[in-house]
Amino acid sequence: MDSLTNYLVISFLLFLCGIFVIIARKNIIAMMLGIELILNAAALNFVAYNRFNPGSLDGQIVTLFIIVIAAAEAAVGLAIVIRFFQLKESIHIDNATELQS
Amino acid sequence: MAAFFTLAGAVLTAFSKNLMHACIYLLLCLIGVAGLFVTLSADLLAAIQLVVYVGGVVILMLFAVMLTGGSSMQEVKNKFGLESVPQMGNNRTFLFAGITIMVFAVVVGKIVLNSFKKYSMAVESTNVEVKNNVLEIGQKLITDHVLVFELSSVLLLGALVGAAIISRPDRNTQNAKSDILEQ
Repeated sequence: MDSLTNYLVISFLLFLCGIFVIIARKNIIAMMLGIELILNAAALNFVAYNRFNPGSLDGQIVTLFIIVIAAAEAAVGLAIVIRFFQLKESIHIDNATELQS
Repeated sequence: MAAFFTLAGAVLTAFSKNLMHACIYLLLCLIGVAGLFVTLSADLLAAIQLVVYVGGVVILMLFAVMLTGGSSMQEVKNKFGLESVPQMGNNRTFLFAGITIMVFAVVVGKIVLNSFKKYSMAVESTNVEVKNNVLEIGQKLITDHVLVFELSSVLLLGALVGAAIISRPDRNTQNAKSDILEQ
């Protein structure tokens, strides 16, 4: 269990699930769930490499900033989604075809 | 155990037909990732992951799902009257996504697998001591990484103000309405 390769495989499967969600869904919020999965895969990779590289904590600090940026991204993205829903009465990605309505 | 939670949550997020259920499965996946952080002796990150993601981001997602009517609005016609893909995807989009991730997995596997075999032995043989490193993270955060720290605070402020401005109803139309009412 406690080897680097296992963590990397888990992280890669998480990343593949994120890509799958982004491609398969047509709902903007569901696609943002996929983005969260991908960001978590990256964070897991950083922490795993940091664990097996003793004497350094840079991986954990980078993961801290990944979490901060993911929170900011989720807030702004959901604000955009809610505004889009107010304008178009829909959150289907195919309806998002123009920047100015 | 945590790995099982993580992968099960991710796969269920990918395949559940209800958006609300997908959010709950994402919650499961994020808790699993926090458990993996604990096994990697990153306790502080596990706590932050639980607080920020489980307490913040997923709740925000659930609020957005509820504000936009959930997945009850299943429109299958687009504005031209043509048949459109339903919101949570159909068999065709799932097929495309499956083909894409298979191609991706094969390509990345071909590239990465050899270097794994070469380096994994050297990495795993190092015996790592486990210590409590919250103090060290805090000290590094305000000495070596202080610029990134301040930048992230500015980014969070900008995201907060930006989200508030974007999601506000249109001010011009409200002014126009109040002008009409005054007249």
